[in-house]
Amino acid sequence: MTTVEENSGPVTDPTSDYNIFDPEFVRDPYPTMSEIRESKCPIAHTDRWGGSWFPTRYDDVVAIAQEHEIFTSRSITVTASPLRQAEGPYAGIAAPPITSDPPDHHWHRRLILPVFAPQSVAKYEQGTRDLCNRLIDGFIDKGEADAGTDYAQQIPVRVISAMLGVRDDMADEFVSWVRGVLEVGLTDPIVRLENRNKIINFFREELADRKKNPRENDLITDLLNSGDKYPVTDQYVLGVCNLMLIAGIDTTWSAIGSSLWHFAQHPEHRKQLRDNPDLWPTAVEELLRAYSPVTMARLVDRDIEFQGCPMKAGDRILMAFPAANRDPRQFENPDEVILDRQHNRHVAFGSGIHRCAGSNLARLELRVALQVWLERIPEFSLVDPAAVTWAGGQVHGPRVCRVRF
Amino acid sequence: MCSIAAPEVFGSDELGHATVLIEGDLPEHLHAKTRRAQANCPEDAIIIEE
Repeated sequence: MTTVEENSGPVTDPTSDYNIFDPEFVRDPYPTMSEIRESKCPIAHTDRWGGSWFPTRYDDVVAIAQEHEIFTSRSITVTASPLRQAEGPYAGIAAPPITSDPPDHHWHRRLILPVFAPQSVAKYEQGTRDLCNRLIDGFIDKGEADAGTDYAQQIPVRVISAMLGVRDDMADEFVSWVRGVLEVGLTDPIVRLENRNKIINFFREELADRKKNPRENDLITDLLNSGDKYPVTDQYVLGVCNLMLIAGIDTTWSAIGSSLWHFAQHPEHRKQLRDNPDLWPTAVEELLRAYSPVTMARLVDRDIEFQGCPMKAGDRILMAFPAANRDPRQFENPDEVILDRQHNRHVAFGSGIHRCAGSNLARLELRVALQVWLERIPEFSLVDPAAVTWAGGQVHGPRVCRVRF
Repeated sequence: MCSIAAPEVFGSDELGHATVLIEGDLPEHLHAKTRRAQANCPEDAIIIEE
């Protein structure tokens, strides 16, 4: 069951037959998540898309994330990749450390953590602010813009390009490759493979260039030179570059887009932040909780019964972070956005050893992108709520989102 | 997260892992911020001794 035709019939009972690519679920997944979470089967199962489990309660999602020896990261995509063998020379290139298990996970992660420490990402704040202002300069006089494609989509890709030291005129191509892997590619393995190869081919050339012309303060050069401490290979460095694109673009772009979509419909929240800028830290966390963009997967290592569910070795589990983050057992009034929410242990970035390594950068980009927008465009609204389009599956967020101001 | 909620109390080391910047008792004016950091820690890793 891997093609769209085989998998897209109507869903009658989401606890036994959910479809994460159902157009209604892609647009607004929360009612279905809530239905599953409050049913007798809060860990749903489906045979669609190669089969998967779907835990929706906060405690279950966190428990699975913490049990990384049983619930492994050998595959983290929400659909099976039947063409794995067909990937040829690139079959071994993953996206470390997100796709690594211990013991390699430890050094895979350790090598990139310094790059994303709060004090390291702080140096990108001014550049991100300037970028956001330039983007707004481009459309502010028109009185209307697409908050998705003209703004949210443009920001993370350029921040990541700067971190990787690659030309920023690659932005449109990077976006297209990442969507090829993470959006279209989830249900079309050929598109997935093509775009994966484009990413790896591009970075293979960048690696060759850095070996010939090493640079100062350059992520790729530094990674290539860390071989004195760890068994760093070209495959590992290519994998990290792949991860930076796959994990750093579509995700943050979706969070920025969802937040602007929310603000477009909530003038009282725009005013609340204008009147009380001290709320920004909790506001950013609340938007991440309410509109968590990412769903990761795990692969079950061995047969195990988890919360009464008979899981078999090789089964796929979808880590429904967006569902966990709206569990009323953990969050009061979970469907309400409360910008000064005091108790907010959300799992938008996951939990345990695979908790997002780039969370400090994502938080910075989200905060700056929203602050600059609200400074420059304090009043705005959706042109047509029904015309907003959404991506779903692995990453949830608006794509076309026209606003008027 | 804690270093955003309570930057006077929490910092981060070279790897981005949280560190505690204050030795001994917390000054009164930082109690509320530290409690917020605790209530928002995604790993439930902060313990406040009273």
